[in-house]
Amino acid sequence: MSQPASLDEILRAVLKRHLSDAEVYVKRGRSRRLERTPVTETASISQERAWAVRAGNRRASFFAAATGDPSPGGPWPEPVPGHSLELPEPAPVPAWNPPSDFDTPLIGEREGLKLLESLGRELEAELPKARLLRAVLEDGSSEAELANSRGLRAATRGRISTLYLEAAGPGRPAVSASLYLAAREPRRFHPTALARRLADRLAVSAAGAAPERDSGEVLLAPNVASRMLAGLLPLLVGPGPGSRLTGARGRFGSERVTLIDNGRLPGGAFEAPVDGEGVPTREVVLVEEGLFRQPLLAWWQEGAAHGETSGCVRRPGWRDLPAPGPTHLYLKPEPRTPVATLLGAVSQGYYLIDATGSGTFDLAGDRFALPVCGFAVQSGRASAPVAKAWLCGGIGAFLKGIAGVGRDLTFQPLDGMIGSPTLLVTGLELRAGAG
Amino acid sequence: MPFSKLDTAAVARTLSQIAEHPDDVVDAFFERREEVELAPEGDAGGLRAWREEGFAVRLVREGLTWMASRDAIEARPFAEALRQVARAISAASYPEPTLEVGPPDPVAAPELLDFPGLLSRAVRAHHVGFPLRVSVRRHRRWVQVVGPRLVAGAESESFYSCMVESSWGRYGTLLPRLSGGAAEEIAATTVALFRARQALPPAPFRGPVVLAPHTVAVLLHEAVAHALEADTLAQGGNPEAAVGVAMAAPCLDVLDDPSSAPEGVRRTTDDEGASAVRRWLLRGGIVEQPLADALWARTSPVFLPGAGRRGTRHLPPGPRSSHLEILPGEASEADLLAGAAEGLFLPEASRGALDPLTGEFALHLPYARRFRRGALAEVVGPCVLRGRVADLLTRVVAVGSQAKPAGAGWCAKGGQKLPVWATAPSLRLEDVEVAP
Repeated sequence: MSQPASLDEILRAVLKRHLSDAEVYVKRGRSRRLERTPVTETASISQERAWAVRAGNRRASFFAAATGDPSPGGPWPEPVPGHSLELPEPAPVPAWNPPSDFDTPLIGEREGLKLLESLGRELEAELPKARLLRAVLEDGSSEAELANSRGLRAATRGRISTLYLEAAGPGRPAVSASLYLAAREPRRFHPTALARRLADRLAVSAAGAAPERDSGEVLLAPNVASRMLAGLLPLLVGPGPGSRLTGARGRFGSERVTLIDNGRLPGGAFEAPVDGEGVPTREVVLVEEGLFRQPLLAWWQEGAAHGETSGCVRRPGWRDLPAPGPTHLYLKPEPRTPVATLLGAVSQGYYLIDATGSGTFDLAGDRFALPVCGFAVQSGRASAPVAKAWLCGGIGAFLKGIAGVGRDLTFQPLDGMIGSPTLLVTGLELRAGAG
Repeated sequence: MPFSKLDTAAVARTLSQIAEHPDDVVDAFFERREEVELAPEGDAGGLRAWREEGFAVRLVREGLTWMASRDAIEARPFAEALRQVARAISAASYPEPTLEVGPPDPVAAPELLDFPGLLSRAVRAHHVGFPLRVSVRRHRRWVQVVGPRLVAGAESESFYSCMVESSWGRYGTLLPRLSGGAAEEIAATTVALFRARQALPPAPFRGPVVLAPHTVAVLLHEAVAHALEADTLAQGGNPEAAVGVAMAAPCLDVLDDPSSAPEGVRRTTDDEGASAVRRWLLRGGIVEQPLADALWARTSPVFLPGAGRRGTRHLPPGPRSSHLEILPGEASEADLLAGAAEGLFLPEASRGALDPLTGEFALHLPYARRFRRGALAEVVGPCVLRGRVADLLTRVVAVGSQAKPAGAGWCAKGGQKLPVWATAPSLRLEDVEVAP
């Protein structure tokens, strides 16, 4: 078997085609996938090796990607006019040590299936006659190398586990609930806590009803608050609409709102020293104590909006074209505020424990509707379950109405890892319908 | 055909070594894929090409599945994968069959380059103009399934997808081929969406609705095809119990037939190498034959395999529909819109969703048109048709006489995205709820 060509050989071969910019990306990965349903059990192991090449100039470009190793001979597509390409220059990368869990082996078949089995058991213990309809655990690691014609060279590693759970409650017709989580390692998934979360969702969905229309103080659990932040991403990424919601004095939200994106967040699922184009990642404060500082800007967006650029170009896999987006975007927690304190502050309102869908966000019209479930709260205590309800209101009203921030920062895999602690919000409504 | 040189006999002999029990299902799934896309004007990577090939080896024993997949079609990775899947003697070294596949073709898709222009001209022919971002992609796939005792014929699929984006929305579709007719059809739909962009949603409504073939295809894909997948049925209890249940009005006959799909995506075998079946999902409104793959077919004699599909070699197959066929009835277009009561005509559905446990169903409609006394009237904005499947499908009162290819699109389930096709007539349903 012949040796694969080096990245430089590929670059040289592509540049001979009268193109000024070229980039080669190679990725190797392996993953284990374990799935359990009431009837079937599946264990699979995959190995992937693949590459991607982008090349072009100010007039034309192409993108080619394939499994195996790239060859200097291609075959390469013809660049198509009307599609320019520019690539980043090399930049110094601040020191970064790969976390030790990058080296841990993938979860074993028996260990993984046992984890899924215990989730089913724990769920039934939490809520008798509830059952796990489907549980899928994926655990993978990868290494990637990148080189471009401007002299940029980068090597990255990744380690991520995801868990998908779908469960049905007791009774007929049964209600259902699902969870999707991501962490660096499967050992971070705790069956008891996850089973409790699913059981809460199922119990509330089965017994709860939605108020026709009500307002009050609303406590948003991290899962609900993260969904809200995910809906706001078009305002935060890129030079476009960024400051649409800012007032005359640059106020974007209440002074309790500080929004940060950080591609090298320690312990983050996507923690890395460089982004998908090899540009150094860093912490960027987008909103500070309610004041809009800057949107998330990629290197080629320098000058297009106020603010500094950062390595924020994501490349989930070899098939994907690099595109800007958040990596770990989160609302800064308040370390001295436990959730119990926030709940105790609710005299009459709601504690929303989960979002049951992705909702609709009309950024131009400044309104949103998010399907939720949880509890009605009186004097800091749950008084009745709430389900099939919609949290509705203005997007600006949500941001400016954040009156309290908890310390329980939790990330969810949405568009990137989006994180939030529990939030106490005023000025929103709970309705029976989205309209 | 890339797999014409593959030594399938040697692969079969090697697979037979891990099939220790008579009821074991063992197979090797080889695939090559190629996608070529013309990106929207101005986007980097003008012509984009993705090529991949690889295989998966699978062993199914007593409801348990072990699978190993690789991104290469080579002898050594194949032997390694066999070792990972084998249960009894996993330390043994397996023979390395010679796995020779044909080289890929040069990357060229000249037919893509003309399509955006063709589409722009077709839109202008409707006397409207708005900026469009058009991406068009050609999808090709070759599949070879080998078992220890059976080698299925090689299969191939080729089709196109097109995505049109504008400031007022987006529309995507699948096409068996690129042609002037296809451009005209996409143009007509995007122009209709453009003209309906500011229409106000209707007030909550209960009454007659007429579903155009595209909407019928989406409705029956969600409410019949997904509902009758063996794994979906199993979520609610015993999947065999569905057979013989009156699920829809007697005028509704629904089949899944991969062999009568549009040319280019027609299949004679499924992704497990089993013969594709012309399967009556509903005959006279009664459930006859749910969708099953090899694994589910082993759980009950009621189920026939042949509907096993996989989105990628890295994931196991599952029971899915390929090409839905709704048999035409006798009602003309005028009959469907007739009657004194005011109703809603539903030309397009953007998506549908079914809760398999409760049977609750929602069909999202980007716009609709009112009809009165047999004639189409004003346009209304986005709305949702809701109901319980069992109730909704019994409300079909008339089936149009003209069935046509409709509702082709992507269907995602369990992380696997697959193209689905349909041939459908229009339907009239009575006493149906539509709300904003």
